[in-house]
Amino acid sequence: MFEEDSENEVEDEDEEEEEEEDDFVDMGMDAEASGTHPKHDEEDFPFQVLTADEIVKHMVDCIKEVNTVVQIPATITRILLTHFKWDKEKLMECYFTEDQDKLFSDAHVVSPFRKSFTPAAAAQAASSSEIMCEICFLMIPPTELTGLECGHRFCWQCWREYLTTKIIDEGMGQTISCAAHGCDILVDDQTVMYLVTDPKVKLKYQQLITNSFVECNRLLRWCPRPDCGHVVKAQYYDCKPVKCKCTHIFCFACGENWHDPALCRLLRRWIKKCDDDSETSNWIAANTKECPKCHATIEKDGGCNHMVCKRCKLDFCWVCLGDWEPHGSSWYNCNRFDEEGAKKARDAQEKSRHALQRYLFYCNRYMNHMQSLKFENKLYASVRVKMEEMQHHNMSWIEVQFLKKAVDVLCQCRQTLMYTYVFAFYLHRNNQSIIFEENQKDLENATEQLSEYLERDITSDMLVDIKQKVQDKYRYCESRRKVLLDHVHEGYEKELWEYQDGN
Amino acid sequence: MANIAVARIKREFKEVVKSEEVAKCHIKVELVDDSFTSLRGEILGPPDTPYEGGTFILDIRIPETYPFNPPKVQFLTKIWHPNISSVTGAICLDILKDQWAAAMTLRTVLLSLQALLAAPEPDDPQDAVVARQYKETSDIFSQTARHWASNYASAPHREPVMDDKVAQLKNMGFDEHKARVALSTHNWDIEQAMENILS
Repeated sequence: MFEEDSENEVEDEDEEEEEEEDDFVDMGMDAEASGTHPKHDEEDFPFQVLTADEIVKHMVDCIKEVNTVVQIPATITRILLTHFKWDKEKLMECYFTEDQDKLFSDAHVVSPFRKSFTPAAAAQAASSSEIMCEICFLMIPPTELTGLECGHRFCWQCWREYLTTKIIDEGMGQTISCAAHGCDILVDDQTVMYLVTDPKVKLKYQQLITNSFVECNRLLRWCPRPDCGHVVKAQYYDCKPVKCKCTHIFCFACGENWHDPALCRLLRRWIKKCDDDSETSNWIAANTKECPKCHATIEKDGGCNHMVCKRCKLDFCWVCLGDWEPHGSSWYNCNRFDEEGAKKARDAQEKSRHALQRYLFYCNRYMNHMQSLKFENKLYASVRVKMEEMQHHNMSWIEVQFLKKAVDVLCQCRQTLMYTYVFAFYLHRNNQSIIFEENQKDLENATEQLSEYLERDITSDMLVDIKQKVQDKYRYCESRRKVLLDHVHEGYEKELWEYQDGN
Repeated sequence: MANIAVARIKREFKEVVKSEEVAKCHIKVELVDDSFTSLRGEILGPPDTPYEGGTFILDIRIPETYPFNPPKVQFLTKIWHPNISSVTGAICLDILKDQWAAAMTLRTVLLSLQALLAAPEPDDPQDAVVARQYKETSDIFSQTARHWASNYASAPHREPVMDDKVAQLKNMGFDEHKARVALSTHNWDIEQAMENILS
């Protein structure tokens, strides 16, 4: 373990160097990539990046390790491990302490110790010369029929077709069961590899098994970047940033972009909230009322407060939602504010209106930073042009690197700011949250100033001056970002944060 | 079509034709053309149900990957049943979806559908209107189902009161089937049904 880790660190450093030269433009969302993220995080959280082949090897090692103890066929071990979500300890514990027959049947395999068992079909096979395959209905010599330990036998051709359909069309891997109706015995890897001949299908099956291995394993996570195919392997499960070989940085715990200071669970809630149309219903709640009788949704777009429901013809008052009749002829006034039922309806209305406004406030700012972060991609390109220009004005390559560094810092700050709004949305107001908001405001101001400096045209006569200003500003931004994050982390440790529920 | 599928269907035909259910006229399968991809099924409404004595025609389509994927089955005969759409004839039955097994046959499918007619599953409905009626007013449901079966599946037991109500609306110039659907949906309340057709 130790050796592997130290190797990995060396690799990581190598990559960082390469990146500074090569990956100049396409860093956008991966603002943390330039290695300025607090170093202690990476040291605190050792991880390896594995290729697809290494993952398979890792899987095989896991199976071997268990097999040295339990001594059953490797393919059965794989099914048992899948059943226990690749928790080796749990498997061994159950294997040696609980009813083994029950364990095998729960995992949908036939116990390898039930040697005396003779399947009915096999017995039949011995007695008759040709028997019918129950899938293709052809008469087949018994030697050309095959099946699992459950005893259901079909011809080779049918098995091959069956497995191919399951693997290719339905994307099933570890959950393919025997083709017989109602039989839940699972097909093992060896059988699949033996019966399937098409290399494409074999490959797909292997991928499916590997995928389930990674998905089940808490210490493994696929790099979420499309078509990346690497897996990050950690030594323990935690919410920490990890960097894939493809340079993508993500949260090991949840797979999203690295989202400090927001917590994974709150980010998940936030993303769900932004994605689903719960806000549509919030809008409806905030801007419409229901007919008190038939509950038709009504939006009032003019006219007086005397409402007549189009659907059920009820006369009611828009203001208090009570019956219209006692209002008499005073068309524009409602003096019945204190009535119990009407008051409740109004309170609920008020509450959802406020909740909507609050959400929109945070969402706007979150979206704004996300949008700006996308624009900074372009900034990398324009800054590169500026840097070349400056090199024509008697500045050395090393002297102009401050500009790239400034854009790196800008992106980091934007990403952090973006997630501060997720954090803040769920935060309950207390003294610490006020300090947090001050920090947020300060960082936001500084970030906007830095952004402005970088947008500006740089002329040769003000070059020295602007360099000083940009450097001062990004250093300030960096330090403010650190202050903000340290404060939030301290709050997590000391449990200073209180959260709002029901959002 | 794949070889396995054709060979299977050919052999299944023999099986269905030979089976004792066919002998008793309970189920039947026919070819629509020579391609073996499109078949016509027939099941008899099971005894002691509103469908008793009715003949229900099914459209059966055999996919390329049969028997590894289930056949696509639909009722062509209009039927009032919680798990069968009264509009399209689409069926909600587990063995026609994820519970399909390659060792199942057309015969088992037809027998399962017959069993479904005898034992609806209102908690897993295809037609929500019918399912609600089945759960809330089971008498009206049985009568409605019998009325549909007598009109569309030539079942022998008629529901004269319902026939009259449909005739009443028909005489007013409404389409017979539309009138029947509206009446069935509104628990045979003529006024509500008319309002529904006109809206």
